Amino acid sequence: MAKDLVKTLADLKEQEVMEIVKSRLSAGDDPLKILEDARKGMEIVGKRFASSEYFIPDLVYSGEILRAVTELVKPKLSKTTESKKLGKVVFGTVAGDIHDIGKDIVVFMLDVNGFEVYDLGVDVPVQKFVEKIKETGAPIVGLSGFLTLAFDSMKQTIEAMKAAGVRDKVKVMIGGGQISEEVRKYTGADAYGKDAMAGVALAKQWAGVK
Amino acid sequence: MPVVHDIPLSLKSGEVLRREGFMGYSKVRPEIRILIRELLAIVQKAHLLEPAIAYEIYTIIEIRQRQLFLAGKPLIPDLSLPSLLPQAKELAVAVCTIGPRLEKQVTDYTSQGEPLRGMLLDGIGSAAVDSLMEEACKLITSEALSRGYEASSPISPGMLGLPITEQWQLLKLVPAQEIGVSLTSAGIMVPRKSVSLVIGIGPRMAKWTRAEVCARCHLKKTCPYRISA
Repeated sequence: MAKDLVKTLADLKEQEVMEIVKSRLSAGDDPLKILEDARKGMEIVGKRFASSEYFIPDLVYSGEILRAVTELVKPKLSKTTESKKLGKVVFGTVAGDIHDIGKDIVVFMLDVNGFEVYDLGVDVPVQKFVEKIKETGAPIVGLSGFLTLAFDSMKQTIEAMKAAGVRDKVKVMIGGGQISEEVRKYTGADAYGKDAMAGVALAKQWAGVK
Repeated sequence: MPVVHDIPLSLKSGEVLRREGFMGYSKVRPEIRILIRELLAIVQKAHLLEPAIAYEIYTIIEIRQRQLFLAGKPLIPDLSLPSLLPQAKELAVAVCTIGPRLEKQVTDYTSQGEPLRGMLLDGIGSAAVDSLMEEACKLITSEALSRGYEASSPISPGMLGLPITEQWQLLKLVPAQEIGVSLTSAGIMVPRKSVSLVIGIGPRMAKWTRAEVCARCHLKKTCPYRISA
């Protein structure tokens, strides 16, 4: 049965996934085990996305299925287990840039993968990032930007973190249409994610999740 | 200055899928196809597209290095454009938009916890802007032909040779505000589903395909929306 959930989720068969989860919950299966299987299914989705077998809408669809699974399982989890998140992430599109769709996808995928995400929106002033990092103590920051003009904003945001004394306390990832390793070096970020799954993988790595 | 509204747009499924990041090497699952069809119906029923084009065609008095002299306009200095269209006798400048309604619906879907609908609708919006741009090109080409001239392929800020910072100059040449388009302080067009373009007009003008534009772009290997030859 466990294998079925992993495979069915990996194949993005939403209805079947829901039926399997309901059936396992009714049978008294451990809700954490169900979530673990769902996570394994998402890993396969990530691999299929990386190998171009799946495209971006498939990835978001998988996130919606995972969210529905989590919603089904949630009432069966104990309070302590339910509130356990993988880590906090402050995320936003940097000042001057108003593109949100890419940012929204990464925020959603981080959220469904168990992170507590503080989405600051678009055109976020540098100080707002700094304030949110201080307020939440989030150890991970995501800076999104679609246009080349975002490079300087990303650099300025990271410099503001340095000036505020929080740069050493956070890992910063950047992402967006034009981002490359050269841009990462220019901005002073720790890493760049070429897509939403890369962003999730980085966050998991930095949060120490196996 | 001409402003055109109520332009019929034909959204081809291949173009919509390309704007959803579909590169043709993976299959589109039925759930996604059904949702795209449903969203296209919503776009039509809820009138989410309000296509409009504002354009102007100027006679070029002189092109001198990075300076462009247009009839009835002050000198436009420090512009990359002249080097791209040295043989042009006239310059058409256009701004196209599908209006703000579709992108508001995208935001609503996303904030209501429906990111898949949001991203698919966003892709439909991008395909609509592409289609509108084609209509603008047809309009300008037709005017060029009526005077015995040819029209070049379009060039938009952000394409190779035309920095996005030149958006400011271009928007001074068309009545963008009449179709509700403005620039943010960083030079991004609002509504976001808008595009500006220039077309050279003259006896013999260069033409290129969209695939050729993609092939010259520095994102040619990674862009999920690239067009292959």
